[in-house]
Amino acid sequence: MQYGRAVGSAVAVVGLRREFGGRRGQPVVTALKDVNLQIPEGEIHGLLGPNGAGKTTLCKILSTVLLPTRGSVEICGYDVESETAAVRRLIGIVFGGERGLYTRLTARGNLEFWASLYGLSGTQSQRRVGQLLERLGLDQRADTRVETFSRGMKQRLHLARGLIGDPRVLILDEPTTGMDPVAAQEFRTLVTSLQTEGRTILVTTHDMAEAEAICDRVTLIDHGSVLATERPSTLGRWITRYARVRASGLLPAQVAPVTAALSGLDGVATVHEVAEGTLLVDTAADGAAPAVMRLLLDLGITDVATTRPDLAEVYLRVIGNRGMRVDR
Amino acid sequence: MVGTRLPRGTTARVVLASSRNAWADLAATFTPLTWTLGWLGRIVAQVIFYALIGSLLGSPDRMRYLYIGAAVVATAMETLLVVSTSTRERYSGTLPLLVASPSRLWPVFLGRSVQWLPSGVATATVALFAIGPAFGVRFTLSSGFAAFGVLVLVAITTYGYGLALAALVLRFMRLRNWATNLSYTVMMLICGVTVPLSFWPVWLQGAAQVFPLTHTLHVIRLLEGGTGDSLTILTSLGLAVLTSLGWYGVAAFLLERLATAGRRRGSIEFAES
Repeated sequence: MQYGRAVGSAVAVVGLRREFGGRRGQPVVTALKDVNLQIPEGEIHGLLGPNGAGKTTLCKILSTVLLPTRGSVEICGYDVESETAAVRRLIGIVFGGERGLYTRLTARGNLEFWASLYGLSGTQSQRRVGQLLERLGLDQRADTRVETFSRGMKQRLHLARGLIGDPRVLILDEPTTGMDPVAAQEFRTLVTSLQTEGRTILVTTHDMAEAEAICDRVTLIDHGSVLATERPSTLGRWITRYARVRASGLLPAQVAPVTAALSGLDGVATVHEVAEGTLLVDTAADGAAPAVMRLLLDLGITDVATTRPDLAEVYLRVIGNRGMRVDR
Repeated sequence: MVGTRLPRGTTARVVLASSRNAWADLAATFTPLTWTLGWLGRIVAQVIFYALIGSLLGSPDRMRYLYIGAAVVATAMETLLVVSTSTRERYSGTLPLLVASPSRLWPVFLGRSVQWLPSGVATATVALFAIGPAFGVRFTLSSGFAAFGVLVLVAITTYGYGLALAALVLRFMRLRNWATNLSYTVMMLICGVTVPLSFWPVWLQGAAQVFPLTHTLHVIRLLEGGTGDSLTILTSLGLAVLTSLGWYGVAAFLLERLATAGRRRGSIEFAES
């Protein structure tokens, strides 16, 4: 596919705002507030946030099924509002779960149907459908009704459908929902392989391991605002200052005095006994974790470990703990 | 430069591909045996029920009138299942994908429910020609062939009306059952199915003209009675086609509006429940 414009970003979102309601006295609900996001070509970009954060609203706008209230959104240099037809030929959308498939059709029938909507002729359709079925490992079941497929097979068919128009930008909306771990891992491998073809992939997910495994960068979104866009490892570094220290093997008599001593340290947020003789210390300042460890060693407790925060903790810290400030 | 126009022939290919989906639906819903014993049996029983009302009134003419009306309206009723089939696109989550595709919506929906056309024609054909003689409904060979052709036209023309209704219901899903049942009831009442058109006030007779069924059913009655001249028959068929074209136009307009208005209002959801 060729572009007729200089394209800096595959996805360029500037000052995006989307409001709902406001008619007949309904209250206005702001789903997205001044969102800015740039995704370069060939990047796998994760969109993380709790339910109601605005992820799906953003995906719908990128998919051209929803108009922005304000701001601009471009896909490969084409405006989603004024150049909708061009945008639609550049994007592919993949849902998770049962949605979006014709379960009474065969896998081949589904793909042939969508191929017709993307303007593929009979011969082009046969070739493209055959290629996709083979690539996604569905060629052996190509002529079986989709209602008999496993969740993993359905999801591969979803991906094949999303690729039918040879999109430059692929939007995956929680694609591994409900899949078993093996199928989900296979699916992630497939998604990663698409990056080598230069496709840009935007994936919304609740699965932090998934985002960490496949995403080049991750955007955290909540209450309609982008909190941060960073590499997964960078997000992890942010809260090393809030590292957790686990101390095990405490005698019953030690628990109370050690808890009191730890609570008195600067930068210690909480101390919990999570199991008999095991304390979990949450820190909330740079350098607090080493101080905690030193104190524990001084008190004769040697079974001590710190845990590196994964994205789940980032998620919980940045979004779950609304009172916590995150420096950007 | 990314092209914005799809290749020539795309619309026809979309209709055809969508109609394959329709046949797959029918094949998953019925086997030949269940269609015959279940669906056909149920419709024929309904037709006979109406004829028996005529019989109870002690008038062979009324019995015949009710029988023909009930048999022909079965085609229309079955064709109106387009409303139910079309709304599945919302429930199955395919509607946003259709909207986000480069094609337009109306060719998809045009092909999506065509399975009900032959099914509806077959139902009425059995009722009219196989069982009808037992209730005094008789066609000559030529008028029978002509009546069969008109039954096909009943299905095609009512499909246009049903599509327009489906487009409306897709936008206002809470109307789903209400709209179909109201349509069916109104057609039964004012299109000459159970009560002659002349029974109603003039303004209601005028309103009945917008339903293609009014004209096609009139022609079948003329063919059965052997009383219609060619001009009257052709005029009625022409009116059926014209009103139907109007409904197809309304359907295409409403379906495209569904997409544009949905984008503006945010009524096209990724996940419907």
